[in-house]
Amino acid sequence: MKRRHWISWFCLALVSSLALVVAAIADDPPATDGERAYEIKATTLCPVCDGQNVLESNAPVAAAIRAQVDDLVSEGRSDAEIRAWMARQYGKDVNANPPRTGIASLVWIVPVFVAVVSAAFLVFAFRKWRVGRGAEPSDDDLKIVSSLREPT
Amino acid sequence: MLVRGTGSCVVIALVGTLGVAVGFVGAIGGVMTLVSAIASKSEQHHRRALTWVFVMAGGCVLAVAAMEIALLRDDFSLQYVAANSTRATPLLYKIATLWGALEGSLLLWAFVLSLYVTAVAISFRRRIEDRLVAWALLTMLLVCVFFFGILVGPADPFGTLAIAPIDGDGLNPLLRNHPLMAIHPVMLYLGYVGFTVPFGFAVAALVTGRLGEGWLVLTRIWTLIAWVSLTVGILLGAWWSYEVLGWGGYWAWDPVENASFLPWLTGTAFVHSVIVQERRGMLRVWNLSLLLVTFALTIFGTFLTRSGVIDSVHEFSASSLGPLLLAFFALILVVSVALVGWRGDQLRSPGSIDSPLSREGAFLANNLLFTLFAFIVLLGTVFPLIVEAINGDQLAVGRPYFDRMLLPIGVALLLVMGVAPTLTWRSTAGSVVGTRALVPAAIGAATMVLALLLGAEGIGPVIGIGLGGFVIGSSARHLVLAVVRNGWRGITGRSGGGMVAHIGVSLLAFGFIASTSFSEEGEFQLRPGDRGSVAGHQIMFVDIVDEMDGPNRVVRARINVEGRGIYSPTITQYPTFGRPIATPSVATSFIDDVYLTLVAIPEEDSDLVVIRVLVEPLVAWLWVGGLVIAGGTLLAIVPGRRHARADLEEVGL
Repeated sequence: MKRRHWISWFCLALVSSLALVVAAIADDPPATDGERAYEIKATTLCPVCDGQNVLESNAPVAAAIRAQVDDLVSEGRSDAEIRAWMARQYGKDVNANPPRTGIASLVWIVPVFVAVVSAAFLVFAFRKWRVGRGAEPSDDDLKIVSSLREPT
Repeated sequence: MLVRGTGSCVVIALVGTLGVAVGFVGAIGGVMTLVSAIASKSEQHHRRALTWVFVMAGGCVLAVAAMEIALLRDDFSLQYVAANSTRATPLLYKIATLWGALEGSLLLWAFVLSLYVTAVAISFRRRIEDRLVAWALLTMLLVCVFFFGILVGPADPFGTLAIAPIDGDGLNPLLRNHPLMAIHPVMLYLGYVGFTVPFGFAVAALVTGRLGEGWLVLTRIWTLIAWVSLTVGILLGAWWSYEVLGWGGYWAWDPVENASFLPWLTGTAFVHSVIVQERRGMLRVWNLSLLLVTFALTIFGTFLTRSGVIDSVHEFSASSLGPLLLAFFALILVVSVALVGWRGDQLRSPGSIDSPLSREGAFLANNLLFTLFAFIVLLGTVFPLIVEAINGDQLAVGRPYFDRMLLPIGVALLLVMGVAPTLTWRSTAGSVVGTRALVPAAIGAATMVLALLLGAEGIGPVIGIGLGGFVIGSSARHLVLAVVRNGWRGITGRSGGGMVAHIGVSLLAFGFIASTSFSEEGEFQLRPGDRGSVAGHQIMFVDIVDEMDGPNRVVRARINVEGRGIYSPTITQYPTFGRPIATPSVATSFIDDVYLTLVAIPEEDSDLVVIRVLVEPLVAWLWVGGLVIAGGTLLAIVPGRRHARADLEEVGL
């Protein structure tokens, strides 16, 4: 790669990092009560409508839960408290986010494990392939080559 | 009660039942003839198998025609028609009612399968004695036997009622208020069922031991047709859900959506990794396994959606077919594993991969990511069932989980997509990549800056957008060079068409990222003349129109979206369906969509309505991206045929 390419790549890296810093600064965490309530509603499932969250569902119970979330948020309860309250009231399966404890944590762990193992397998395979590539030519191979090279 | 036209109904039910029976017999006859043909190696037997295929297809066409006639003529003595259609149903939806419920959709499955098998039989008719073709046809016919068996037995679509009701119950209204519902299932089935063809050839290759690249070349076009149909089918489903369901989204990680997504993921991995095999003769076991898994997943998906084991908003047609489908799925898995195990030693690839930084390396990375993606989707979908089976706990795995786990994989896929076209086969020097990727990377960085100027925020979304720009730059560079070298043929063929498809994927990614990350929302209580504003869009509530459309009460709120015109979100009360259905109205543009939903209609003696307004940027690019992907795939298919002929002679078929 020529020198001016290195310079160009450096500039690009600089621009991209700057852009990402700006992007990160512009992105404020959910600060207001409204944003917090929105986040909770979006991750709480409506108990009677098979997998829709309460934010999107038109069912009456979803409307009730939305109102409850708003109340609890304005009372100053933490996210964890509100989720625990919902789980007690409507069952654990209203939380769209599977728990990270007990047997349920496997849903988070297993994919990471599989990813690491399969990536390791690929790395191993590349090693093996690379070793295989350096095979020495056999005597027969050499004979064939030399017979082709020297016209008899 | 007046029973009208009983005579003709009996005839139609009879014709339909006969058609299904003929299909079943045709499939069994085909299987038996092929088995004896393969055993005796007689040319005549092979030819006779073709006749059985036509018999089967003829029977199925007859059955479908009977059902359509019954639907169009409102023959409510047919149980299926009475349960799923009404006199008032518009023509298009009467036709589409064929695939609106369980029995009919299985009939459609059998129909599409028969057409595929017939097409295969016709296009390979001159080589039917070839053991590879014969075994492939045999495998496909066995699948046909299974589906016709279901139609003959547990899911008979032509059951009759002793007394025909005067009017039918009709479909769930959600399924009959948008024309997309008429196309989406058909496209999906063309994709789903289409994977039976490469599956058949994969099994045939394993059975006959002809594990070279010949069978891949034979099935290339079929695989791509199935893949593109499934792609379009899934996107149409997303579009339908966006236009009809009223929550403003298009993908909910619902089990039924996941069921259609799983074979797409493994199928996509296959259409990429197969290139490595065709080019370098490698990854034979892997590619075969991907095809076998893809087909198995279509059956597994059908099991998930038809058995009622999983809660889903989509469950329009749960049934007791679960055990049958599960047994079939298990059979496919066992046969596949046994075959691959049996031929394992012959599947060793002759070549080797020299360097991770190569085209092969990129395809491997793609495959690792796609299979990991599929694994996570599968795990998340069935995990609640597993936990419940182990300790009885009820839990849900929803969108937050899928987003957290899959978005990083999506980002990695975009990165690989951008880098791959700059790589050469075997091994690429880093400096070559550095030179070739420079302009695409600059386009990516410029896209990021542009996105920030337009108001994008958050590291994840901005990285995604930047990588999308990188992919477009990289694919465009490849296309431009190909066109310079080969003229307009440069955009065709697998690499040209593939690059076009990749540009489509980037457009789709832009639409996805912008609409999920940057949408804004507001809810307004309005009286006529009142205004509201979301994300710079002014809306004004004009008036309410409350009228009867046949038996249905339709309430429309007319809303003026400034600069876009009048839009009317609606609430409809169907007499045959309890809860009222809200239908959104969307003011679409290439910049953003203004998505209006009527949340509540005015009470008596009030004119106050509640309107939800959602402004979602770039949603339209999801559908444009899908169109570009489909176009790219067609570009990849069309000239591929000519190459395929030459290849076939090469491999001696």
